[in-house]
Amino acid sequence: MTAISPAAQPRRRRIRVARLPLTFVLGGLILGISLILAVFPSIFAPYDPIAMDYNAILAPPSLSHFFGTDSFGRDVFARVIHAYTVDMQIAIFATTGPLIVGVIVGALVGYAGGLTETLFGRVVDAVISFPFLVLVIAIVAVLGPGLTNMYIAVGVIDWVFYGRLVAGEVKVQKRLDYADAGRAMGYTPARIIFRHLLPNAITPAIVYWMTDMALAILLGSSLGYLGLGAQPPAAEWGVQIADGKNFMSTAWWISVFPGVAIVVTGLGFSLFGDGLAELLRTKR
Amino acid sequence: MALLSFIARRLLQLIPTLAFILVVIFVLVRLLPGDPASAILGDRARDADVVRINAELGLDQPLPVQFLVFVKNIATGDFGNSIHLKVSVASLIADRLPVTLMLTIMAALIALVLSVPLAFVAATRRGRLADNAIRGSFQVGLSMPVFYVGLILLTVFGAQLHWFPVGGFGNGFFDQLYHLFLPALTLALSLAAILMRNLRAAIIGVVDAEYVDFARAKGLRSRVIMTRHVLRNALISTINLFGLQVGTLLGGAVITETVFAIPGAGRLMIESIYGRDYPVVQGLTLALAVVVSLTFLLTDILQAWLDPRVAQ
Amino acid sequence: MRNLVTAALTAALLAGSASAALSVERGGVLHYGRYADSLFLDPVLNDANVDIWILSNLYDTLILPTDDGKGLEPGLATEWTVADDGLSVDLTLRKGAMFSDGSPITVDDVIWSLKRAANPDNGIWNFLLGSVEDVVAKGDDGITIKLKHTDPAILPALTVFNTAIMPKKQFEAAEGDTDAEKAKAFAEHPVGSGPFVLKSWQRGSTMTLVKNEHYWDKGEDGKPLPYLDGIEFDLLPDDATRILKLQSGEIDGAELIPYARVEELKNAEGIDMELFPSTRVANVIMNVRPQVDGKDNPLSNEKVRQGMNYAANKQAIIQIVTHGVGTPMSSYMSSATPLHTGEGAVYPYDLEKAKALMKEAGYEDGFSTSILILAGSQDEIGSATALQQMWAQIGIKLELQQVDNATRTQKYRDGEFTMRAGAWTDDIADPNEITSYYVYSPNIDAVHSGWKSEKADALFEASQKEVDQKKRAEQYAEIQKIYNATGPIIPLYETPYPVALRDKVHGFLQIPLGNNVFRAAWMDKQ
Repeated sequence: MTAISPAAQPRRRRIRVARLPLTFVLGGLILGISLILAVFPSIFAPYDPIAMDYNAILAPPSLSHFFGTDSFGRDVFARVIHAYTVDMQIAIFATTGPLIVGVIVGALVGYAGGLTETLFGRVVDAVISFPFLVLVIAIVAVLGPGLTNMYIAVGVIDWVFYGRLVAGEVKVQKRLDYADAGRAMGYTPARIIFRHLLPNAITPAIVYWMTDMALAILLGSSLGYLGLGAQPPAAEWGVQIADGKNFMSTAWWISVFPGVAIVVTGLGFSLFGDGLAELLRTKR
Repeated sequence: MALLSFIARRLLQLIPTLAFILVVIFVLVRLLPGDPASAILGDRARDADVVRINAELGLDQPLPVQFLVFVKNIATGDFGNSIHLKVSVASLIADRLPVTLMLTIMAALIALVLSVPLAFVAATRRGRLADNAIRGSFQVGLSMPVFYVGLILLTVFGAQLHWFPVGGFGNGFFDQLYHLFLPALTLALSLAAILMRNLRAAIIGVVDAEYVDFARAKGLRSRVIMTRHVLRNALISTINLFGLQVGTLLGGAVITETVFAIPGAGRLMIESIYGRDYPVVQGLTLALAVVVSLTFLLTDILQAWLDPRVAQ
Repeated sequence: MRNLVTAALTAALLAGSASAALSVERGGVLHYGRYADSLFLDPVLNDANVDIWILSNLYDTLILPTDDGKGLEPGLATEWTVADDGLSVDLTLRKGAMFSDGSPITVDDVIWSLKRAANPDNGIWNFLLGSVEDVVAKGDDGITIKLKHTDPAILPALTVFNTAIMPKKQFEAAEGDTDAEKAKAFAEHPVGSGPFVLKSWQRGSTMTLVKNEHYWDKGEDGKPLPYLDGIEFDLLPDDATRILKLQSGEIDGAELIPYARVEELKNAEGIDMELFPSTRVANVIMNVRPQVDGKDNPLSNEKVRQGMNYAANKQAIIQIVTHGVGTPMSSYMSSATPLHTGEGAVYPYDLEKAKALMKEAGYEDGFSTSILILAGSQDEIGSATALQQMWAQIGIKLELQQVDNATRTQKYRDGEFTMRAGAWTDDIADPNEITSYYVYSPNIDAVHSGWKSEKADALFEASQKEVDQKKRAEQYAEIQKIYNATGPIIPLYETPYPVALRDKVHGFLQIPLGNNVFRAAWMDKQ
């Protein structure tokens, strides 16, 4: 960002070196481990996640089954580990597309304002108020159940969140002095939007992105009910928790361990997001 | 006056938005496989019955004809009757939508009460114990599926402590508020987590920005700075997000409504989709679209009020 | 003068069985947690179990089913006689019976109700009265049902909800031009003939029934039934919430307890976990057409189907899915269905036999196939997931496809499926209903499987007119033998109705056909 002239840039803050690495590193560490588990689950899982053992149905946690077994006699530990593959995929694939599309559209809309903005506002109205479930069932009907179609359904809705967030921020930034300065210097709108305004306006979207990844995993569990999410017998945390619902009092381990996995992974995303936001704020 | 004309303009814009939604939903529900008769009859659906029932419902007509009839009825305020429940769609919506509105408003209020002060605390004590504790506990709230949270709340505060009823909706306004507290809290937890994170980041962003330094330089006391400048500026992006999230809550509290046995619009919607109850899906979509659009209008007005630069 | 049942005889039987019971207490409103709300409470025009299963509380039929669901006892008719030629039935109406508004139940009401039920333009249940030619008055306290042909199931048909007696005058006075419109208006403020009457209904939430002060039947204490002042149905769609509400004492009963929690509730204090015998069966239905989607269909081979049946370990599925609550099926119909034959599982688990059959059929290396299951149905997901593992052992790769009910129905109606999970519950105490759907191909292609046996079709047609019970039993034995050996289904299990009640509740009954019977329910005073 050194190309930006001093006039076109808000005053630099001191970089908080001491605080920065902690959240970023901790979040990064959790996500790093999660990714390793997601790519190489078989190395860490002691059992086949779909193999049933009729003689060990609903077995409590023990040395042979760290997290116990579920109602099919499947090893819960192996399923939690293998679910990393599916859930990290959901978190990343379901949200990255909407992020990119939303940020670009939002930046353009926020900069253009006027009629474009009004039109975009109505598109947002229409998309948000459109019943998500109708869309989901329609997509399943046409394309069949599965994760890819879940991404499509989520993507159709989710991008407007980023779009609206970014548009609002860009609109505010546009009116700050440095944007005018950029215009005065004859920069193209594209350059002003993507090199000057966006870096300042993107922080809420990045922060939300990290939340959104955790939300996507949760949505996976809701959609598991509709049959749009991961298809059985594949392991997925949300579906595992739903499987354990009838056993909350008699076999808590079926739902608690995948729940812990969601919380830890979500924590990783949010720590990483906070760190990233701080980086963007301080380094621009 | 500027505000009034802004509102008037937005209300006018509502008309094409709703028209668009109506066309899409009309076509989409009919594209879903199956029809009302086979949806409800399952194995017992015999061809003769299905044909007869569809004919009774006018579903044997070509799509454009059905659409014209539908538009004509809408124009006279008639949304038709539910295919399976045999009562008018308007009365169903009048029964169910207010329930969801109540639930959503309560959830939104609880989320605000939880998130705004705590985001403030977390942001001002950035990186310290209080910040980490607040963020950690909100993260747990965010990461738990609603049915899980709901069941835990019901078990502890309903079945064991008897502080709240175990689901249901109750009679009379205050009884209903009482019934809705736990489900609203359930919905509020994830909403509060989203808002808290966003607001905290926004407050930090504003504090770090130049004009606070400028205000400080002017000699304003830090409390004044915090309320007048920081919170005001930080709320702008959060209100945006708040509007969006509340919008999705309105149509999407299905699981909460199911777990807590609340007769809301979300459950009616999913039952109607599964039952291919076209008139209900159409009418409810339209009603929800109006409510969601009005919510956005409200957040836009709030935003303009907080940040005059946004308003044109 | 066959099939003559007198009121006196039944009354004596009732009194005999009642003497062992506790002394009843009157009053109170029973709160009952249901999983889904009713849709439309018209006996003739309803479509679904959520209506059927509570209709008997609102409208009485001429004949009532016995507690085991198989026999007959007097309802609004006190006696009945099937003519020697089998072509007509005479029924004597109960004297002094009244509707819930106090008006008398007349011959006119009965004739009108039965004709409305038999009208092929009305609803989907008229086939149960397909043999009815006409209904006429017989004196001023009886009717004669004239039949087109002999019908061995005509008496059980008169116990089915759609033949319930409604008040003609009040119905016709309701607003509307057509029968359907009148039914809609009438249902807002119904006048009934059953032990209870609908008082209020907040859709999606609660339905309140109050006792019918004019109900004809007497309780053990000699005073009119029902014992309860009323029933409140609370809609609690989530299983866990329904159970919690029962445990907290806010409701007195809860239906459809998940099998996984039956054992837990059996041991819970203050709760009676009831498993009422039922006619419910769960199965997998195969598409047996020679080609599906333009490809050769291995499921069209009888041996493949038999092999898959032997490879499916039903006992394990019963453990995994029903947690031991279910029992293996010995025929395609439930063992609670009259004229059911068979003992033990239809295809006991035998992997070697399964492999041999697959080899014989030329599918030693197996094949890939798929199954449609109801999205979110834990039972169907459970069965299909278990079958996936079991069939992997004979080389079959099974893909699970979750879809919603309407999509699935459309797919199998169009023949665009290879396999699907299925379930059935009888509505009439006769094997003819399930057989007409599952076996008799002209009806719906044997549950849309494309399976056809001319012999079974002919046997069914004959049995529909066979009034000699012994001969009819033989016909059904033969039909079951053919179907179980070569049919298009994998029978999985039959399950009872799991209902949990507070221990203060007595006398509640869910009969095998599913009807929730509250007429003799009562509660301890606390």
